[in-house]
Amino acid sequence: MKSLLKLFVGLVAISMAGYAPAKDVKLLNVSYDPTRELYQDINKAFAKQWKDKTGDTVTIEQSHGGSGKQARAVIDGLEADVVTLALAYDIDAIAEKSGQIAKDWQRRLGENSTPYTSTIVFLVRKGNPRGIKDWDDLIRPNVKIVTPNPKSSGGARWNYLAAWGYALKNNNNNEAKAKEFVTKLFHNVPILDPGARGATTTFVQRGIGDVLIAWENEALLSLKDSPGKFEIVTPSVSILAEPPVAWVDKVVKRHGTEPVAKAYLEFLYSPEGQEIAARDFYRPRNQEVAQKYANQFPKITLFTVDELFGGWQKAQKTHFDNDGTFDQIQAGDLDNR
Amino acid sequence: MKRKHIIVGTLIASGLVGGQQARADATSDAISDLKQQIEALDQKVRVLERQKEIDTEAAEAKAKDAPKITIGNSGLSAASGDTNFVFQLHGLLQVDNRTFFNDRDNHNQSIVGNDTFLLRRARPIFSGTVYKDFDFMFVPDFGGSSVQIFDAYLNYRYAPWLQLRAGKFKTPVGLEQLQSDQYTYFNERGLPTALMPNRDIGFQLWGEVAGGKLSYAVGVFNGVADGRNTSNADFEDHRELAGRVFLTPFKGTSLTALQNLGFGVGGSWGNVSSNATGLASSYLTDGQQTFFSYTNNVAASGTHWRLSPQGYYYWGPFGLLGEYVISDQEVRKGAAKADLQNTAWQIAAGWVLTGEAASYTGVTPKHPFDPRSNHWGALQLVARYEDLNIDNNAFPIFANPGTSASEAHAWSVGLNWYLNKNIRANVSYSRTSFDGKINPAAATVTRQPEEVVFTRLQLAF
Repeated sequence: MKSLLKLFVGLVAISMAGYAPAKDVKLLNVSYDPTRELYQDINKAFAKQWKDKTGDTVTIEQSHGGSGKQARAVIDGLEADVVTLALAYDIDAIAEKSGQIAKDWQRRLGENSTPYTSTIVFLVRKGNPRGIKDWDDLIRPNVKIVTPNPKSSGGARWNYLAAWGYALKNNNNNEAKAKEFVTKLFHNVPILDPGARGATTTFVQRGIGDVLIAWENEALLSLKDSPGKFEIVTPSVSILAEPPVAWVDKVVKRHGTEPVAKAYLEFLYSPEGQEIAARDFYRPRNQEVAQKYANQFPKITLFTVDELFGGWQKAQKTHFDNDGTFDQIQAGDLDNR
Repeated sequence: MKRKHIIVGTLIASGLVGGQQARADATSDAISDLKQQIEALDQKVRVLERQKEIDTEAAEAKAKDAPKITIGNSGLSAASGDTNFVFQLHGLLQVDNRTFFNDRDNHNQSIVGNDTFLLRRARPIFSGTVYKDFDFMFVPDFGGSSVQIFDAYLNYRYAPWLQLRAGKFKTPVGLEQLQSDQYTYFNERGLPTALMPNRDIGFQLWGEVAGGKLSYAVGVFNGVADGRNTSNADFEDHRELAGRVFLTPFKGTSLTALQNLGFGVGGSWGNVSSNATGLASSYLTDGQQTFFSYTNNVAASGTHWRLSPQGYYYWGPFGLLGEYVISDQEVRKGAAKADLQNTAWQIAAGWVLTGEAASYTGVTPKHPFDPRSNHWGALQLVARYEDLNIDNNAFPIFANPGTSASEAHAWSVGLNWYLNKNIRANVSYSRTSFDGKINPAAATVTRQPEEVVFTRLQLAF
């Protein structure tokens, strides 16, 4: 008996001593609609870096959709290790409604947890047949606009606030005038896609509309994918879009993926991560990388959500919650049809 | 006159030209209008088509969230769209036959009544999940002479590596004991299982670490006698600690020959007040006949611990399973006390003749039984050697050598036919010999070796 026990203990000791097998780690990145290409590139680069550093194989699965819809999925139990959404409000919603993310999440990483930025521009058909130059041109009766639904899409909310902000600036901060402007603008929207990528499909592939209000990165990607078919019009003023990132505290603890999830998000701030972001048409935070890609991103007067709307919580409540200005505009628009 | 004609002609000509120009302008405007109308209509059609596309996508997304009912070889399952709520119905039915040979002793007295058809197990298995992280299982058994509840527990999954189970379930000690009933090589588990605790009531922390390369379980239970199920209550105050660690270090690696090598150790420790229920009433042979029992008034009294190193190895069609167990029990009878150390071990091997992969969780035929297509399922040849040794100090005070043996050792061979994933038929032969008997009484099990042929028809889903 004793010899049998010794044999067993020996076997365990041999198998455990110095035994640190390479691990296979999986992460789920729940992101918003147009980041597919960005995170395909980021994931490949990070996996290589992580393998070199630790010997572990990390596989990052991606889930994409309208930012608000993605946030709801996480609140409802989708086990995201990290979220990389279109706006801070959606991550706040996860933190508040599910408790899965620490409420101070935005202070945990640099630049308010926003490793890259973007803005809102217009994509028009080659030759700009409707002569669109600025926001005012979008409310002309003969112009058809494609923009996604702010109820489900983070990008659409940026579009909406960009238009509203422009109107405020042009009308001495007159909210009524701004609402009138945005009402006219949405009167020209024949269809509301649930997400930004869907809206791009509507405009680019289905040939609907004269102008697509889009993330700058999405517009640049369309130029790259369909050379000679479209042009970008940069409006006189637009919004600084800051898509944030966070690890989901309770999930990474449960999955045992906290170190790799944090390293993954920190990689976005590294020179390599910033370079990839810039290559995929996101404005990098890193000044050196930004300088290198300066020609890709025209200078534009940008305002922030905090400056004009008092932050995302207030903007959400005023404009996008039930009975907010968007609902009022939609109801009025339906009444007029 | 001539001039007049010229003027008239010029006027007519210019009128004609002007008219043609006007008509041309009107036509051009009409074409332009038509073009605009066509463009507008084209846009409307495109919008309608796109809207239909979006609606279809939304409907498909919604369908994904709709509750799903599935039925197949894994039973019936109903799940909410987000799979946070799941209800499953499985079942296990085992219809056995045991036929004993040569059990007539040289006094021509036979053991009567042991040849039998029997309903070994008849269990509906209800399991599921509520609120994503809470699992449950409820398993009654309608086999045997009375209805019993075999498993009834709740399990909370914080993560695969940290789970808490509470209720009635198998105590985490024995390797073959923990193997699901439908997957064991033979109709009855080997002799080491006679020294293991069976199902008990308590709670355990358990989990799988490093992608299942290491599994652990540690729990507190009422404590049951060797080979026994709990009677759903305890009649003394002490608790029993039980735990098990099992390693499959090459799981998921590229070393295919070692991927299904597993080894570990299980054990339990408890203190039992002087109590007859803490002691196994008997140890059984493969044929489920008693070859050892304590004499009247012997009770468990004091420490009861078990230790069981164990392991398995599967590679392709080959499978090997082995375990060893010590069950150390303090007993008393009146003023007499003893610390009895009973031991058992087994080694069992199998070979799937039709080439399918063997595993701890059974065999899945490549070609399920369908004679019309010349498909016959999978065939597995199995063999086992096993031994159970009773502490010599048990005799003669605590056990009677006239009716009990101090050692049983058995060998078995069998053939398992997996018709498909759900149905299995098997036949096996087992011969058990007994040592340490002294003048066994007539018609006792230990008087001659036990020879028995088993058959089974099993439905499991």
